[in-house]
Amino acid sequence: MTPQPKGLAEIDEHQLLDLVEESADLHADSMRGIAEPLEEMVELEHERRLEQPDPDETSAFTRARDAQLTKAFGGKMLVAAGAGAALVGLLSTDAFASAPTNVQILQTAASIENLAVATYGVALTLPFIGGSEANPVVKTFATMTMSQHQQHGQAFNTAIARLGGTKQTNPDPALLAVVNQAKPGLTSAGPVVALALELEQGAAETYVANVSALTDNNAQAVTASIMGVEAQHAAILRAVQALVEGNDASAITLPPPVASLPAAAGSVGFPDSFFPTNQARPATEGAVK
Amino acid sequence: MTNKNQQPRELGISEAELAAMTSDLDQMHRDSSLPALTESVDEWVSANKDEETSSALGGASRRTFLLGTGAAAVGGLLLAACGSSGSSSSSTTAAGGATGAKYPANLTGDLKVAALAASLENLAVYTYTAGIQAATAGKLGTVPPAIVTFATTARSQHMDHAAAWNAVLTGAGKTKVTETDPVLTPVIQKMFAKVTDVTGLAELALEVEEGAGATYQSGIGALSSPKGVAAAASIQPVELQHAAILLFVLGQYPVPNAFSPTSSARPLTDLNT
Repeated sequence: MTPQPKGLAEIDEHQLLDLVEESADLHADSMRGIAEPLEEMVELEHERRLEQPDPDETSAFTRARDAQLTKAFGGKMLVAAGAGAALVGLLSTDAFASAPTNVQILQTAASIENLAVATYGVALTLPFIGGSEANPVVKTFATMTMSQHQQHGQAFNTAIARLGGTKQTNPDPALLAVVNQAKPGLTSAGPVVALALELEQGAAETYVANVSALTDNNAQAVTASIMGVEAQHAAILRAVQALVEGNDASAITLPPPVASLPAAAGSVGFPDSFFPTNQARPATEGAVK
Repeated sequence: MTNKNQQPRELGISEAELAAMTSDLDQMHRDSSLPALTESVDEWVSANKDEETSSALGGASRRTFLLGTGAAAVGGLLLAACGSSGSSSSSTTAAGGATGAKYPANLTGDLKVAALAASLENLAVYTYTAGIQAATAGKLGTVPPAIVTFATTARSQHMDHAAAWNAVLTGAGKTKVTETDPVLTPVIQKMFAKVTDVTGLAELALEVEEGAGATYQSGIGALSSPKGVAAAASIQPVELQHAAILLFVLGQYPVPNAFSPTSSARPLTDLNT
């Protein structure tokens, strides 16, 4: 048996709660950083809305999103939702080309966050995720991640409201269909982790795609501060998934039993040198109609 | 929660099964994200050539200014640390550039951001290389195989990142950046000299990864080319994924921030040293 590496000791539940508190302090610091871009974004968008839409900007945005959508149509989640044809139709409409794109993007982002919150909420009602049978690390992760998605949704909706747009309080409709389809199969940790991973990966890819398509610097900054967080959720879920699929969920501890992990476990959380966008959601998918 | 005294034991998933999963993921990466990024960089190179022709890359933009101010406090702290650092921890891995070449002269705008990014990626490669060599030499005690895989994979990904930024530079007729960030390098070397175990190495790597992620996030606001923004946006989440795994291994909560901060971003002035 390989010994535990020097300096790595397991943590009990009280220590885990302390870590969560420390994490909350760090988060408060990061919130201060996000407030300024949100305020600037609101001011700039108010100025923009006083002017006529810029045809060049609209055209450039549409081209950029089209490129992402071409990739997105190959995404398995969209196929599962059976929504490809409807979205192709939506893309061809004048409404898409002339819409206030930053607001639409924010509404779609909020809808993704709303769905994530709802999904983690359902997961936490399951005994093996949020109940007495649950692994404490998994339960804490699900609880914290749901809270972070709530904060993301609030950040997007705050910006939407101040821009004069309508807050998006509903989930992304295409992804909701995916989640509803998956619900009957959520009978063990494996399918729950797989569903959460699919949502996190999709959210991260959407924001990566949006960052390069957004025309507003501050909307871009807000989105950029969230995309990496979703990618981190996905990385941890990939690692957890490997352990669950190996029928050894009890190895999900903080820290994990690194000494006894297979060598390949060291890289399972981050498979890509460059984060992909082939599962990015279309920008208007969650926009308020 | 697991008993603190519980001994680690072998996992149910086999090495072969996990290796197969990793191989599948790597193939997905080769099929999907790498070609997309290559295409993006190629287009950006073309755009840079066009802009160079019309002298459009000269002069500091508002975005460039924002990147420079974003990390002023951290930069000052590190400069102070450098002033007292004369140590070099590794005699086996060169930092600062194998050829001793200086950064390409007169870089401005997006190309300067690309050079800074390349220098940070080189520093990450240097850090992991030094760590792997120290581990191989038995200087870090027992090193679990998963940690070795983490370090070699992360290093490989940082090499991919450096190659992407250098492709942008060479495509614009500039020379590659083979040096490490000149301000941060002495700080990392000083920290590495104190590393005696896997935990210390993980803490050092975390410092590098969080700094790189923050710099890319800040760089997204500094780059004027949409292709450049796309490249930075495709790398920032990967650096933060490395950081999350390192936090997890260190027994810290792996996703501590709901919004990733930019307080540790490196400024463009690092290249003026």
